[in-house]
Amino acid sequence: MYTNLLVVSNAATIDTIMRALADPTRRAVFERIVSSDEISVVELTRGSGVTQGAISQHLKSLKRAGLVTERPEGRNVYYHAQPEGLAPLVDWMSHYGVFWRERFANLRTLLKEIDP
Amino acid sequence: MNDAALKSETQDIVVDEVFPHSPETIWKTLTTANLMGRWLMIPTGFEPAEGKHFTYKTTPAGAWDGTIHCQVLEVKPHERFSYAWKGGHEGNVGYGSRLDTVVTFILSKVENGTRLRLIHSGFALPKNDIAFKNMSEGWKKVIGNLGAIAGEQQA
Repeated sequence: MYTNLLVVSNAATIDTIMRALADPTRRAVFERIVSSDEISVVELTRGSGVTQGAISQHLKSLKRAGLVTERPEGRNVYYHAQPEGLAPLVDWMSHYGVFWRERFANLRTLLKEIDP
Repeated sequence: MNDAALKSETQDIVVDEVFPHSPETIWKTLTTANLMGRWLMIPTGFEPAEGKHFTYKTTPAGAWDGTIHCQVLEVKPHERFSYAWKGGHEGNVGYGSRLDTVVTFILSKVENGTRLRLIHSGFALPKNDIAFKNMSEGWKKVIGNLGAIAGEQQA
């Protein structure tokens, strides 16, 4: 599973992802995509308070960051979230979560040896 | 739109366990180079003195040679020990990406031994609570796997 998403996110550096999500409007767009299965630009524009052109720009940078993918169908383009795109941000942290639990287990063993 | 939403957040890793040993014994395992090497990693140039620099060597990734640069920040015998933990490289994503964190050990005496808390703080994440909470199945699976691994190791 990780092999695929690391290939996908190689181009999208952590900076790109951070920048993509730093903009509140763009983040709101991403959150709407995450909470719907699939959504079109028209639906995203409705009730957003910004133009369809602006929404398209936001989608472009979300796509560049590897956070959404698109599926064209007829005259519409549907977007869905690719939450794996967030993995680079938490991957390092996950590594250390596992790392420290392992080391605590080692420490318990060591303490038993030196202080039975 | 408010400014607070634009700021990045950092997250901490916390491991909190009770060991049936005295704080003095545990302190030794945290602050003696050869004992650190037996449960954590072998430190180079380590001394438990504030301001002292030392390194750990781990698996390299991309342009990062695997060196973790540390500096002792606080030494309060048998109570509190912390050091800076920096490594990684801008060019990496995930494992091996830029890391600027602090590791803190807090010891407190409890009835049947010592409570040891590890706080590894400063992992930068974008402030994006809803997105993190509403993640679709793929994401839940990643988290689920991590939980399972952690659970196994605690058992």
